[in-house]
Amino acid sequence: MATLIERVFSGADEMYAKAEQALAEAAAKYDDSTPVSYPDTAYYLECLYAMTGRKNQTLGELKESMEWIKSQMTREKRTKDVFTSGIATACAAEVIEAVKYIGGVNPYEGTLYNGHMSDADVRELGVPLVTGDIPGFVLFIGAAPSDEKAAELIKSYQSKSIYVFLIGEIIEQATRAGVKMGHAVRIFPVGPDVHMATHVVSVAVRTALIFGGHEPGDYEAVKKYTFERVNAAVNAFEPVNDLTVACGAGAIAYGFPVVTNDDNDMWRVPKSLIVQPDIDKFVETSIEARGIKIRVTNVDIPVAYANAFEGEIIRKADMFAEANGTTNDCLELVRALDATQVVDHKIEVIGPEIDVRQPKNQINLCMVVDVCGKKMQSDFEPVFERKFHAWINCIEGVMHTGQRDLIRIRISNAAYEAGFRAEHFGEVLYAKIKSEFESVVDKCQVTIYTDPEKCKELRVEANKIYDARDARLVSLTDESVDEFYSCVMCQAFSPSHVCIVTPERLGLCGAVSWLDAKATYELDNNGPCKIVTKGGLQDERLGRWDDVDEVVHALSQGALERVTMYSIMEDPMTSCGCFECICGIEPYSNGVAIVNREHAGMTPLGMTFSEMASMTGGGVQTPGFMGHGKHFIASKKFMSAEGGIARIVWLPKALKDTVAEKLNKTAMDLYGIENFVDMIGDETITEDPEQLLAFLTEKGHPVFGLEPLM
Amino acid sequence: MAKKFTTIEEMEQDTKILKVKAGEVGIDTWEDRAAAQKNHCQFGENGICCRNCSMGPCRITPKSPKGICGATAHTIAGRNYLQFAAGGCAAHSDHGREICYALAETRPDGIYKVKDEAKCIAVAKEFGVETEGRDIYEIAHELAITGLNDYGKPFGFQTFINRATDERRAKWEELGISPRAVDREVTESMHMCHMGVQAEPEAFVRQAMRVGLADGWGGSMMGTEFSDIIFGTPTPIETEANLGVLNKDMVNIVVHGHDPSVSEAVAVIAETPEMIAKAKSVGAKGINIVGLCCTSNEVTMRHGIPMAGNFLQQENAILTGAVELIVVDVQCIFPAIGPLSKCFHTKFISTSPKAKIPDSDFILVEPHNAEEAAITIVTTAIENFANRDESKVFIPEHKEKAMVGYSCEAIISELDGVTNSFVDEPGTYKPLIEVIKAGVLRGAVGIVGCNNPKVRADYSHIEIIKELIKNDIIVVTTGCSAQAAAKAGLMDYEAKELCGDGLKRVCDLVGIPPVLHMGSCVDISRILNLVHTVAKEWGIDVTQLPVVGCAPEWMSQKAVSIANYVVASGLDTYLGIEPQVKGSDEMMHLITDGSRDLVGAGYIIEMDPAKLVTAMIDGIEAKRTALNI
Repeated sequence: MATLIERVFSGADEMYAKAEQALAEAAAKYDDSTPVSYPDTAYYLECLYAMTGRKNQTLGELKESMEWIKSQMTREKRTKDVFTSGIATACAAEVIEAVKYIGGVNPYEGTLYNGHMSDADVRELGVPLVTGDIPGFVLFIGAAPSDEKAAELIKSYQSKSIYVFLIGEIIEQATRAGVKMGHAVRIFPVGPDVHMATHVVSVAVRTALIFGGHEPGDYEAVKKYTFERVNAAVNAFEPVNDLTVACGAGAIAYGFPVVTNDDNDMWRVPKSLIVQPDIDKFVETSIEARGIKIRVTNVDIPVAYANAFEGEIIRKADMFAEANGTTNDCLELVRALDATQVVDHKIEVIGPEIDVRQPKNQINLCMVVDVCGKKMQSDFEPVFERKFHAWINCIEGVMHTGQRDLIRIRISNAAYEAGFRAEHFGEVLYAKIKSEFESVVDKCQVTIYTDPEKCKELRVEANKIYDARDARLVSLTDESVDEFYSCVMCQAFSPSHVCIVTPERLGLCGAVSWLDAKATYELDNNGPCKIVTKGGLQDERLGRWDDVDEVVHALSQGALERVTMYSIMEDPMTSCGCFECICGIEPYSNGVAIVNREHAGMTPLGMTFSEMASMTGGGVQTPGFMGHGKHFIASKKFMSAEGGIARIVWLPKALKDTVAEKLNKTAMDLYGIENFVDMIGDETITEDPEQLLAFLTEKGHPVFGLEPLM
Repeated sequence: MAKKFTTIEEMEQDTKILKVKAGEVGIDTWEDRAAAQKNHCQFGENGICCRNCSMGPCRITPKSPKGICGATAHTIAGRNYLQFAAGGCAAHSDHGREICYALAETRPDGIYKVKDEAKCIAVAKEFGVETEGRDIYEIAHELAITGLNDYGKPFGFQTFINRATDERRAKWEELGISPRAVDREVTESMHMCHMGVQAEPEAFVRQAMRVGLADGWGGSMMGTEFSDIIFGTPTPIETEANLGVLNKDMVNIVVHGHDPSVSEAVAVIAETPEMIAKAKSVGAKGINIVGLCCTSNEVTMRHGIPMAGNFLQQENAILTGAVELIVVDVQCIFPAIGPLSKCFHTKFISTSPKAKIPDSDFILVEPHNAEEAAITIVTTAIENFANRDESKVFIPEHKEKAMVGYSCEAIISELDGVTNSFVDEPGTYKPLIEVIKAGVLRGAVGIVGCNNPKVRADYSHIEIIKELIKNDIIVVTTGCSAQAAAKAGLMDYEAKELCGDGLKRVCDLVGIPPVLHMGSCVDISRILNLVHTVAKEWGIDVTQLPVVGCAPEWMSQKAVSIANYVVASGLDTYLGIEPQVKGSDEMMHLITDGSRDLVGAGYIIEMDPAKLVTAMIDGIEAKRTALNI
């Protein structure tokens, strides 16, 4: 029988030959100057870019890269050669895939397959990876023994919130078994052939560039990053051929164990290549092999509960009931009460259960959670409340958007048929509050109101509370508090990044406000958030404090010496990579353009979000570029050292609409300008810097009154 | 940032500075004495000087090809070789015997206790000692007596050979080299070497193997296992190595030799609050125990006590001027320590009637008085702190972190960490076997043995190990070799950066350094257990395993005994120093290819470490090819 090393070498040769053939076919149609690129990425052909630093923008460059690939397929009988051959196999596979995208076509349009994953989707995974909401990835290759088995295995991972990639026949099997697929539900059907695993490798190596801040071409650093930080595993169904073994060698080189049920000609390597004849044990075996930590919240409801369902969309046609705050009285509210007023785990539905279809499926739904605890503070109420969105979305067959009394919740027909009812919202909220906030919540009760009259009354009462909270938030300024917080939640992925969170500057991921950080600290003094005192003010304009510098230096393990809170030019705060928005200098106008992750189009900087995002991240300071949260845009502290929001000259339309009200208010407060957002460009106005300049001039944008940025 | 490893040149620079200090106080060191002895007697060197009767000495030359009795070069070289091996077996086994006596003296409230009860019961069962429903100390005491009786067993074979593979035992049986009893094999060896007894070269080689096996599967193994019972089976623990472990602010006590009984007692007493308080009362920050040679290996494996150095570093430790006291037991102790200690304030304490050394103060340490003696020793050291002459103190700063304590049990437990509970059974070497089969690791080498002024000190150990780990060959090591590796940082986790990708990945996943410290020179018995269990679990003969032994800088009789049992146990053994039989081509053949014909393994001798390691890698690859892996 062939040795493992021989099998890898043979598979690598096979992939190389296929790549050569694909290139030859492309060369017959296109010349060397033909552009080659994947859509929606700033990392070129990612595998090659990450491992070599080469940008590979044309067919000619791709041909040259073949020499490098060949040079990596060395033949000493050593693991090093196995690893480099495995990685070279993924790169050769990338060549095969890349030529399919020539001419800007999406070769998988209209198929079951997704192929390449966009940078935006990769970045979107940042926060859930950090929080453990997505504890890991798995890639299936091949065909499961049956459609049912395929669905069962996929769902088993999904129920543990593990992100699933599919390659091969299993995609058809899952489709036949009715499994919903897509990035939103954390099941990504890559494509039919094993070489398409390159698209999965590309996700892994991009995490090293985006979140790890590693230089493209730093081969060892990329490999070390994925090995140490990316929890992925491969499940390969029998028969596993040499080509798959070579791809597996690449996976193992990056640190991802391969589990297979193929015992023929197979060699076992602990924690790396595992033969598990019983596919019913694939999931557990893989989780243990990669040391994936699954956070279990046991929620006693009749449908599945997992992070993988967070992005699930329920269409109108599929819904049994909808609670819509814009048309009905619906809301969510957390109240901190005295211990005597709370009965632990009391879940009550006031009004009719959701068991009759209503006209247009519209219902009233108010969810009130009362908590008590010695360490509970009323400041934590909105912190808990904002989590409802994620918690409720994790219910299979339930969709949640909005907050407070502007929520919209949809319950699918399938969920209803499975037995899901109003009381189950109570179970979910109770279980999550108790598990995530156990150190401050002693008792928790949930009341679900569906009775229209009660809901109407409650809305009035709730709005008083919301108003009081808003008043409190307005009073919370960087000057009014004694302490900021540091947040290093991302360090699992971005080891030298540190956020300093202040009342007027939330974390760049958008998920950690000053109150969140405070609550996180209260929950666990040794957790990711720590108090930062405001001693040693050096520069009020820049927002520079000795204490902040000291904390940043210590928590970044010496990678950073100092940061400022209010400048994007001088020692700006670093980014981990999972920022909601990025702003960058727009040189024509002397202002900045901001773009959010969801915006796929171009900006006046001549760069997309992905391209701008690739300028920073990984805990590196890049003056002129800064990642930040959406809510920071309307802050009075937004690059206040450089003149504040008056620098904002361009925003994508959707983002502009989201922040318009607050941004206008801030502009009014700061400069006395009315309807400031109307002076800001967007893609419907122009993406061209010269036209933008003309637009800004016409509008009399305040940026022209400011000092040059550079 | 990449770790900077201490280089051999840096170590040699430290030695150079200390050598200057030796000149200042007017004392010679091994370098001077080796230079003075440079022109070694070629008859001795080649093994063809016979002084076994008073008709001689007889020396073989072309003109006088036979001794007075007619003994040829082959007979004389054979005799000398066997005597050498028997001396080694005697030393190791006598060490093992002392441990049996210590076991017999264990008490729940004594300084020697039964620390590893599970091992006590397991070993007792092997020796046929009843364990059911008995007090552990009762079992221990009976095991000690049974163990002692194994040394002079009148019939049958040594108990521990039952641990060897069936194939090996059958081979020993077939060749008539199954070890019967330590005392008998040593005595018979000496008898064979007597004037007018054995004359056939192959018989000497066979008996050398037999007396070696008596050591490896007898005296040494008892030394190891019984020490584990009394002092605890080692588990991974962090320590430091090289002279930088001496502390200028503390009372420095050096423990030196091989038998852990004395040093264990000293270590225990030095940790007592009374002693620490006493040390502080004389202005020291505390008591710092450090080790030399195999005593060091014993206490570092169990307590993480730092290693000051190996065989050729023993004088350097005293030359730092910072040692209050050096206490020695047996073996590898330079008599030179006596006069050297007089040049400093250092107190030199010998403790065994077998190893009384001029210019030392003798304190008899036996199991029954060990505690009392240890108190005297530690107190003497503390009281001597005031006499330290700061002007004479120079402590080189070099030291390296090291993970030590890899007993077989510890290795299995580390390997359990990479098993998958949905696929594998824990408690085996299977993960190791699988990575070797798959080629992730190419094989394993046990590197052992001494230093020898005939080659650059530590250089061969360090360079060979580095080359092996670069080639994905995992290294297990004991004795002075282990300390050389530790001093060079090769037992630090960071040493994975010096490995090939396969071994590096294994280090990462298992959480081990690439070079595993398995203990003192008697603990080569651990390597025997490891290798034979691996062969059983793999289902092949030991001789087929891609595993070899190596002693690149050996010098002692014990080393020859070891080499004999390693070869007889089925492993090719690569020697960097020539055994003293060169005057007989027949003997040279017998210990190399000849023994390969007999037992399936033999010596490969090569003085150039670069060529030696290449030969080892080639040997391992050849075994892989034969296995189709």
